[in-house]
Amino acid sequence: MTDLAGRMVQLYRIMGSTEAADYALREALGIIKTAGSIDELRKKLASFAADVIKARPTSALMLNTFRDILMALTNLEGVEPAEARRLLAEKVESWIARARESVEKLAEIGARRIPDETRILTHSYSYSVVRTLEKCVAQGKRIEVVVTESRPTGEGLATAETLSSKGIPVTLIVDSAARFIMKDVDLVLMGAEAIAANGAVVNKVGSSLIALAAHEARRRVFIAAGTYKFSVETVFGELVEIPSLPPRAVLSPEEAEKLGDDYKAWFPLMDVTPPEYIDAIITEMGMVAPEAVPLVLRELYGSWPPRLPDIDELLERLSG
Amino acid sequence: MTQLPPEVVRIAEDIKEMRIRGAGRIARAGAEALKLAAQKYRGSPSPEDFRRYMERVAHYVVSTRPTAVSLPNAVSFVMKRLREAEGSFRELVATVVAAADEFIETSLRAVETIGRIGARMIKDGETILTHCHSTAAVSVLVAARKMGKEIKVYTTETRPKFQGRITYRQLAEAGVNATQIPDSAVRSVMKRVDKVVVGADTITSDGALINKVGTSQVALAAHEARVRLFVAAETYKFSPASVHGVPVLIEERPPEEVAPRKWLERNPGVKVRNPAFDVTPPEYIDAIITELGVIPPKAAAMVLRELFGYSAEAEKLVLVAVEHDEAGVYY
Repeated sequence: MTDLAGRMVQLYRIMGSTEAADYALREALGIIKTAGSIDELRKKLASFAADVIKARPTSALMLNTFRDILMALTNLEGVEPAEARRLLAEKVESWIARARESVEKLAEIGARRIPDETRILTHSYSYSVVRTLEKCVAQGKRIEVVVTESRPTGEGLATAETLSSKGIPVTLIVDSAARFIMKDVDLVLMGAEAIAANGAVVNKVGSSLIALAAHEARRRVFIAAGTYKFSVETVFGELVEIPSLPPRAVLSPEEAEKLGDDYKAWFPLMDVTPPEYIDAIITEMGMVAPEAVPLVLRELYGSWPPRLPDIDELLERLSG
Repeated sequence: MTQLPPEVVRIAEDIKEMRIRGAGRIARAGAEALKLAAQKYRGSPSPEDFRRYMERVAHYVVSTRPTAVSLPNAVSFVMKRLREAEGSFRELVATVVAAADEFIETSLRAVETIGRIGARMIKDGETILTHCHSTAAVSVLVAARKMGKEIKVYTTETRPKFQGRITYRQLAEAGVNATQIPDSAVRSVMKRVDKVVVGADTITSDGALINKVGTSQVALAAHEARVRLFVAAETYKFSPASVHGVPVLIEERPPEEVAPRKWLERNPGVKVRNPAFDVTPPEYIDAIITELGVIPPKAAAMVLRELFGYSAEAEKLVLVAVEHDEAGVYY
């Protein structure tokens, strides 16, 4: 496995996109603190940014935070190295803090929307979802959670473990049992990897199937996602590329051996849920319909369409 | 009362102790038991006594495995012929033997026949999706390949037990271009799929399909994408009990199939629900391919009437299964 593939598996397997960005930002902080000259800082940070964006290309949070950091990097002409390091570290730290604060805020809003005695179905692992459910409990609501294991990477077990340790009754199911269980749940709450310009939600593979089954059973679907997950690139027609894992990254060595070398499999990591299957996106700026994405973007960036530099151009400028 | 022949008791015991397994084998063993019971009958040669004896044998055989659909199915098939037959004692014995032989013959050829019929419904160059492992569905896909059709097949892994890996291997060995996907990717892949072919565990009289868990969401995703869905099912998968209102129990299996035992011990607060099957409503099914021909799902009642009849005796026979009522989810 190459370094990039290894990092990609790590970035997808261990963490939700909030944790993945947090991890990347902390690494970036380390680079900033140890770099010597401005030139070294610029090169190292740009190459790291390119690397993590490639490792988790679907993550809008990763793109949005690193775009902002790269923009700051281009404005360092004539600044003393020590001052530059301080400015950048401040920027990165403010992003780390902002991501956390946003989750706390949206979790509070989301928890209000969930009534007492609700059974919630969630998929995979999302930090925003976990925090929302924890806030429900803090508000004294009696909730139960059904969680899918979420093949191929299986983060559902981490969700089950986390929620159960907080005293929330949890039921674990295989992904295939989502429609079977749908009539027994009251609503669906999932996270997001990115939210596209039309309100479509990119999230862990299987999300769209669950949203479809919820729609069929007239169960509401809520997405807990901070506004930093709104993808600016999609406003300008970029398509979100869905990465897939090689079978060997998914299978245990024994399984891989049993299935043989010519075992042909497609293990996509994400899928796209159309806005018509989503009732609302819970952000730190309030609950919005998925179709209200442009409105949120205008408030966030001060204009519609948002005037932001292209990330590839930024990277080119900094490495050149 | 006439004693049951030891040969019949032996088959019944083998079914009961699960020495005979698999829907098809159980069904054929049931038919064989009735045939032997007729041939070895040593009671009074009055047609009425023989009929009563055969009803008793039928109940006895069905009660060995009340939850297996194929068993009451085979027994009901033979008994319908006997109930409708007229004539002397010898003629009635011959009727039972002929009906049992016919059932066994048809059932043995069923998978092959379904393959031949189903393969005609697949066009050259099409992409097919299948879920879990079904001998009948694989038969359709392999038959299509043998007819020279270049097909591409997506097979789901089918958690928790990965039966999809058996499907993948059988297709690959038959030279079919197969690709495995996780169950969660079914909707992702659906736009590239032309048709879905799945097997059946049970088909009820209202045309619903009870099959491996996940089938109903495959069907839902196919329906959403306007992809046709075919069910490949031998007629012994049709449930005679459902005609009489008896619901089908959805079996729930142990949690260790879903998560490792150690993980479960570490997380005692986590409950696991592990249903083996789910229910696909008839509106998501385009056709059922049986060895007797292709039918729309809502014509299941016709097949059931045709094969097993509708009478007080038929009702009594399938109600043997209900006496073993269990807690759980029913359809």
